[in-house]
Amino acid sequence: MSHPMLPATTHDEAAAQLFVRDFKMFLTESVEPGHRARAERLDPGASSNARVETVYDRLHADEGFRAWASLRRTSQEMLWAGVSESVARQADSLEALAAAAPEHGSLTLDPNFVQPAYLDSGDVHLMPGGYAHDDGALLQGAVMDRGGAVYMLGRNGGLMNDVRGHTIVAHIFAQYPDLDPREILELGCGVGTSLIPVASAFPDAQVHGIDVGAAMLRYALARARHLGATVHLHQGDAENPPFPDASFDLVFSSVLLHETSPAAIANIMAQCYRLLKPGGVVVHLEVPNRYDELDLWGKIRGEIEADYNNEPNWKAAISADYRALLAQAGFSDIAVGYQAATSTPLRGAGGFSDTSMGTFRSWFVASARK
Amino acid sequence: MTQPAPRPTMPTRAKRRIPVPGQSPAEDRMLAMIAALASELAVTRERLDSVERLLERANIVDRAAIETFTPDAAQSSDRDAIRRRLIAHIFGPLRSDADAQGDA
Ligand SMILES: C[S@@+](CC[C@H](N)C(=O)[O-])C[C@H]1O[C@@H](n2cnc3c(N)ncnc32)[C@H](O)[C@@H]1O
Repeated sequence: MSHPMLPATTHDEAAAQLFVRDFKMFLTESVEPGHRARAERLDPGASSNARVETVYDRLHADEGFRAWASLRRTSQEMLWAGVSESVARQADSLEALAAAAPEHGSLTLDPNFVQPAYLDSGDVHLMPGGYAHDDGALLQGAVMDRGGAVYMLGRNGGLMNDVRGHTIVAHIFAQYPDLDPREILELGCGVGTSLIPVASAFPDAQVHGIDVGAAMLRYALARARHLGATVHLHQGDAENPPFPDASFDLVFSSVLLHETSPAAIANIMAQCYRLLKPGGVVVHLEVPNRYDELDLWGKIRGEIEADYNNEPNWKAAISADYRALLAQAGFSDIAVGYQAATSTPLRGAGGFSDTSMGTFRSWFVASARK
Repeated sequence: MTQPAPRPTMPTRAKRRIPVPGQSPAEDRMLAMIAALASELAVTRERLDSVERLLERANIVDRAAIETFTPDAAQSSDRDAIRRRLIAHIFGPLRSDADAQGDA
């Protein structure tokens, strides 16, 4: 399945994007195991108080590791270069398509908006221009949408990239079956890949999304309109969302927290509490790993992602004690665990448990009630 | 006639690109060029494969004719554009490096 705003590809653009996909797969499946084995040989053992740092440094002494790490980054740069070239070619048709969309929903931009320092300090996933890029157009959103689908290698709902959103709905059905939200907010909605499935599960609700980038949000609105979803999008900071207290029945985030900062995570928890009506529900979905459960290579891989793919808050986000953070923010009925990934959330299907089924099979979820 | 508004150019370089400790920028650049080259080759092979299959399906493929084909002026200039884009793509890392030096 696809949608009208998704940039199309020519024969050669599609071939170039498939090359990036397969090149990444080669680097991961055929080259990485060798470095993983070497890391185990370089392990100073559990008694070392700087185990990960030591192995990470030692790995860098090897030319092959350095070549692999730099080609991994290069493959990511090629992904964005290929997608941007393709999007730029379609600039006129994408703008025209956006202008021709049925006019429902809204976009509220803040001309004085300043992006948080942690986003300004490096472009996450090496996407040139970053999330907050604004050139008055909507192309950055198209780049993010298409690039995201290629980046996930088709493991998150193909070109719709919507499994995370459906999984959040499945979690609500499993843990809060009585919830009938009238007002919904997503913090860090991006181009709306997760917001749309949540909106379609609750068709009577008013649905809002907030994010940092004007270009991305212009695209998100056009994308939602063409998909028949009515959403109200706002440029703003999840640490200080521009809404009055007790405005929402459901506030959620999807893979937002690991791209913020430790201080921001605590602030966002507090804001969710403030924004919810009594009895309202908060759901945070995150990458399905916990730092202390990772093996040595899992931890090394995290360092590689932080350094060479601009994921600086990854470690803090998967080390955080969400039960304590939610309790501290005032929440009760706290649930922390893993929700089975799905594209077809059903009431009564459950799917929430204490154990991860692995990457892309389940997502980490921390949720609670006000 | 009114001029269309100039289209904003898309950003091409990501903020925060740290060196891989112990790796020279020359090696990083060289590897990137090889990766770009491999991509170009994969794209070309895929296109050629499409063309050959379509010709075969239409029953008009004459492989000997490929060897004696001579492009006219317009066709030559199309080919120039293809070749120059390929050069700009493969040797792009040289250019981003030069641009970064220029910005510094
Ligand atoms: C990985 S994307 C996820 C997008 C979407 N939630 C999804 O599931 O596909 C993370 C998003 O969080 C946004 N973001 C990060 N920090 C933010 C902040 N402080 N306020 C608002 N949005 C933020 C980024 O701009 C980006 O769009």
